[in-house]
Amino acid sequence: MAEANSISGKELREMFIAATGWLEKSAADVDALNVFPVPDGDTGTNMLLTMRSSIEESYQAANNSVSEVAQAISRGALIGARGNSGVILSQIWNGLAQGLDEKETMNGADLVECLLLASRTAYNGLSNPVEGTILTVIRDAAEAAKAHAVDVSNDVVSVMEATVEAARESVANTPTLLPVLKDAGVVDAGGQGLYTILEGALHYLKGETDQLKLRRPWMVASSVPLTTRAPQMVGAADEVPYGYCTNFVIKGAELDPEKLRKRLEKKGQSVIVIGDNSAVRVHIHTLDPGDIMHYVNPLGTLHQINIRNMDEQYRDFLEMQKERMPEVDTAIVAVVAGEGLSQVFTSLGTTIIVPGGQTMNPSTKDLLQAVEAVPSEKVIILPNNKNIVLTAEQVPALTKKKIQVVPTRTVPQGVAALLAFDYEADLETNTVNMYQAQAEVRSIEITRAVRATRLGRLDIKKNQAIGFLDGDLVAVGDKTDEVLNEVLERVESDKAEVVTIYYGADTKPAEAEQAAATIRESYPQLQVEIVQGGQPHYNYIASVE
Amino acid sequence: MTVKIITDSLGDIPAELAEELGITIIPINVIFGSINYRDGVDLTTEQFYDKLASSKLYPATIVPSLGRYADAYDKLAEETGDIAVITNSHRLSASYQTAVMAKERMKKKCRVEVIDSLSAVMAQGLIVTAAAQAAKGGTKLDKVLEITRQSIPRSHSRMAFGTLEYLRRGGRIGKAKTFLGTVLKVSPILGIRDGEVYPFAREHSRAKALDYLYEFADGFTTVERIGVEHATTPDEADELAQRLENRFPGQTIYRSRVSPAVGAHVGPQVLGVAVLGDRD
Repeated sequence: MAEANSISGKELREMFIAATGWLEKSAADVDALNVFPVPDGDTGTNMLLTMRSSIEESYQAANNSVSEVAQAISRGALIGARGNSGVILSQIWNGLAQGLDEKETMNGADLVECLLLASRTAYNGLSNPVEGTILTVIRDAAEAAKAHAVDVSNDVVSVMEATVEAARESVANTPTLLPVLKDAGVVDAGGQGLYTILEGALHYLKGETDQLKLRRPWMVASSVPLTTRAPQMVGAADEVPYGYCTNFVIKGAELDPEKLRKRLEKKGQSVIVIGDNSAVRVHIHTLDPGDIMHYVNPLGTLHQINIRNMDEQYRDFLEMQKERMPEVDTAIVAVVAGEGLSQVFTSLGTTIIVPGGQTMNPSTKDLLQAVEAVPSEKVIILPNNKNIVLTAEQVPALTKKKIQVVPTRTVPQGVAALLAFDYEADLETNTVNMYQAQAEVRSIEITRAVRATRLGRLDIKKNQAIGFLDGDLVAVGDKTDEVLNEVLERVESDKAEVVTIYYGADTKPAEAEQAAATIRESYPQLQVEIVQGGQPHYNYIASVE
Repeated sequence: MTVKIITDSLGDIPAELAEELGITIIPINVIFGSINYRDGVDLTTEQFYDKLASSKLYPATIVPSLGRYADAYDKLAEETGDIAVITNSHRLSASYQTAVMAKERMKKKCRVEVIDSLSAVMAQGLIVTAAAQAAKGGTKLDKVLEITRQSIPRSHSRMAFGTLEYLRRGGRIGKAKTFLGTVLKVSPILGIRDGEVYPFAREHSRAKALDYLYEFADGFTTVERIGVEHATTPDEADELAQRLENRFPGQTIYRSRVSPAVGAHVGPQVLGVAVLGDRD
């Protein structure tokens, strides 16, 4: 593949596969590049899942021209986009598809054209583009590619080399453009992800298969002196939304169910291991059932093996729900995590809940499936998380149904919007009313820092409780209830009437009761309500109205 | 000969006002356990809510028999030849049906016209008082009926509820069933639309719910009649009435309490406002 002047559609697909594999190796590192010390959207994972969707779709291309393959890649990215970075990535591949329209192969000049179009499409897709992000990286890379093609060489490998080099410098420079990155001492995660993808593609073009197999991508270091230490690696995301529901029985001698459970917990979620030393039943959700089988095979004989794709299960579930759902004129699709919060949303009239939130950003496809599943032609989507708003906004273009997104960025905003919903009002009126209602509520979120960092004037130690008011980090302390009180003090409480506290999966009911009692004491005029939200990550989510 | 007006006790017309305007009110039966009370006659609102608080039984309501309606017609027929009967919504009770059938049972000769107000509570009450006012002023029956028919689509009410449990048990919840089972403590705002109970809004606090009631009235461009009624919270009703007086200076704000028959379906804490008027 070295010194190629142009590449075919088949090679384009292989290049994407190589780039995705390269990204996969560092997805967890990219996830760790969070500005906020909370598990924040999982940029690396989101980009990886978006890339995987592209590859899957690329096999559906009508022929092996670069035009058809790029179209399929773009389509796959659009449908599989997760998180803000995934959506922007899908815009970039849209630019690629435009640049390769009706082309059989891609040469250096085509690549330049693609990158320029990708940059333009990515910027145009956003109402408020921010510099120092993946956007800057694709623009810098595209401009460097163009200059290189004009001044040095038009060869596709040579152009890609210049592109990757420029991307690396651009990533290193992101902290100088975006103060929040500089404060946290990190480079932009989305930019790093894009650089890694381009680098993986370059390795493929150069035929460096050993590199791809044996090495790991480099994480770009910030070009400015860091105010704090570079972030340490955090564990992989603790929840994988989809994968395979894997069930089997192991029969053997001297089985150790307890030990097996501990091992399996590292390999998947929702692990259930029951049995004794002669037979053990296992249930696990995993992305790689083969790995599980491989691991348990030597322990004994395997029986009743049942592996189901949960993606399909979810689809079936939606189909089943559809038959049970009441006919409504306007349906509401809301993204919610936690059993208690799901009940709150359902009880207030949400038609379908798409599970997801802070670390589980649903894809455009997940939202689209929910939208198609509801028995009404008009649908309002409540994303309830700032990392899901952009994903939700991709949905209207993909369906014949009339969709409105009320861009709720927090759970309290979602509840406020839902309360304003009027069954007989038309879609537009409801959208306006819900938008206004969600803008009037104040949102408080309390969680624990997953790493040490500094943000503005706040020094945060790992595991400390941190409090956000309307998405801004405003308080830090040792106890979650104290931080909750501190954030509450910042709200103009003389105007407030109701505080609703949703306590998370990690918070004990008694603790929450105590926190509520303290607030009632400090603010006797407030009506304080506590609800078991059961949400992951956030010890408390509270609304002030 | 003056036209006489009959209505049922679901219209929540205060006794003094009914007397002043010469309105005959047929009491709905309220049944507590095995005891039958005539709404507002054997049982006051005060007594009703005391019973509700102390009893484990849920009250039920029954429309009086054909005979009661026929008796009422016959009694009025002694002094008039024209009677207008304005009932609560046929989708809420059997009043309309009974009132129509009772015409066949009366002994005296008299013209009786029955109109379905498609309403209840003070929204029904305002329609009836408008008709009674016209009748008292000497308006002929056909004109009274026309006035009534015009009033029906112009009379609206909203009520802030403390609980939807009574509405659910009584089977009158209608489309407001979508508001049931709410995990959060919210104040539902209900009213009547197309003759049945309809869910208009949910507010996250009582204070906001009361604001909603004020803003609902505030949204009318012309106000002919306006009323405030409460169940167990007179202070809230006073405050709302005061705000409305400031908003509509010179306008009489009728004050009422939900009758026991209404209370059996709406429960305690209900606060309502009704307006006969026009909105844009």
